[in-house]
Amino acid sequence: KNMSDLSLNITDCIQVVVPEEVFFTVAAAGILENLLILIAVVRNKNFHSPMYFFICSLAISDMLGSLYKTLENIFIILCKLGYLTRHGDFEKKLDDAMDSMFILSLLGSIFSLLAIAADRYITIFYALRYHNIMTLRRALIILAIIWTFCAGSSIAIALFSYEAATVIPFTILFPLMMFFILCLYVHMFLLARSHAKKIASLPTSTVHQRTNMKGAITLTIFLGVFLCCWAPFVLHILLARFCPHNPYCACYMSIFHVNGTLIMCNSIIDPMIFAFRSPELRSTFKKMFYCSR
Amino acid sequence: MSALRLISNRTSQQASSNSDYTWDYEYYEYGPVSFEGLKAHKYSIVIGFWVGLAVFVIFMFFVLTLLTKTGAPHQDNADPSEKRFRMNSFVADFGRSLESERVISRQMAEESQSLFHFCINEVENMNKAKKSQKGPGLERNIHFQEVPRSSGMFEEDLHSLTKFNIPNFVNTEHNSSLGEDDLISEPPIILESKLVMQSSHRILD
Repeated sequence: KNMSDLSLNITDCIQVVVPEEVFFTVAAAGILENLLILIAVVRNKNFHSPMYFFICSLAISDMLGSLYKTLENIFIILCKLGYLTRHGDFEKKLDDAMDSMFILSLLGSIFSLLAIAADRYITIFYALRYHNIMTLRRALIILAIIWTFCAGSSIAIALFSYEAATVIPFTILFPLMMFFILCLYVHMFLLARSHAKKIASLPTSTVHQRTNMKGAITLTIFLGVFLCCWAPFVLHILLARFCPHNPYCACYMSIFHVNGTLIMCNSIIDPMIFAFRSPELRSTFKKMFYCSR
Repeated sequence: MSALRLISNRTSQQASSNSDYTWDYEYYEYGPVSFEGLKAHKYSIVIGFWVGLAVFVIFMFFVLTLLTKTGAPHQDNADPSEKRFRMNSFVADFGRSLESERVISRQMAEESQSLFHFCINEVENMNKAKKSQKGPGLERNIHFQEVPRSSGMFEEDLHSLTKFNIPNFVNTEHNSSLGEDDLISEPPIILESKLVMQSSHRILD
């Protein structure tokens, strides 16, 4: 009964393995897409506005997430091939750095989404004073604060990950932020609904019922994608901390690679639902590609 | 992180079953998990989690759809004077319902006085700040388009607010017969429809 390895009987939950080619393809696609957005925003002076800076921040955090996964895989392959020692101090430090990069990516994503939602909220509810409230300088200061906070907490969490005190706040932050973002968007929706009602009562208007669904679909996609991609991993962390020996928990933890691939899929989907919705950004991409040919 | 390193441990075991790849955390000794005597299916947490997530997302979608549902469009054939009266009344209604009255009156007081000054100041500041870079004409265009673009992108999604064009707004100041207060407190989409109304009035009269 005294086994040093995990038992791999047929009745046990076998670790679900994602093929490495799939992993690297998904990761590379995510990194490339987000890099394109960064280049487009930096090169085109029209995009030097708070809204695009927040989208850039989201792109950076997505890129970090994909980068982390890629580096971890490369690291494991190098260890497998024998190029790196397995018990070294350097590897431990590298692993620490990679873990903190991953947590930085998660926190950065959450706060970037929050910033984008707040920016849209101000655009809609304080439209006339938007330029006074959200100046470029303030947006950059907000981004600096967000990233400093995320970097600090990611290093702290990576160093003190053994305590339950770090895992619990981390997992509570996630649904709390989602709920807050949902509230912001719901308030915007309520305003849009009252607008639409007023317009519908105008004699010269023609309101199509179908177009109101698009807002609900868009918002469900925003939040649904984020939830479906990150929540499995957050649950994994909780279970690994609190019930690692429970067979049910162990079965959940066996699909860890799938959860990791989901996080990288989030990096691919996020640009599509945030950045590529803007017609100016799409036309900038077209120009970039046609000019490079 | 403990979970990640745990997983690295397992990953490596899966990837290379014969090599001796372990991190040097003895903390990780992780005894065998026995799978006997399970009452429920072994993947029950996985299934339960994903089903719960799917139900939550669908529920959220239905709630949002209900929130954005409007009534059936109400098409009347009233005469122009009645239309104008109705427009005035619902503009007033909207002004009340948008925020609390205190906020509205404060906004109106601030903004009715400073609307033109705001536009003029923005242009001046912009010109001062970016004098070295480009010509002011281009900047002015970009600046005026910034608010419509930022609101325009999201409004595409919402499909209920049209673009907020400051030039249009400025034009209505001269042409409109409604009060300045109404123009400032009401949202852009009402303005656009009012423009349509007024131009149609002019054509009919």
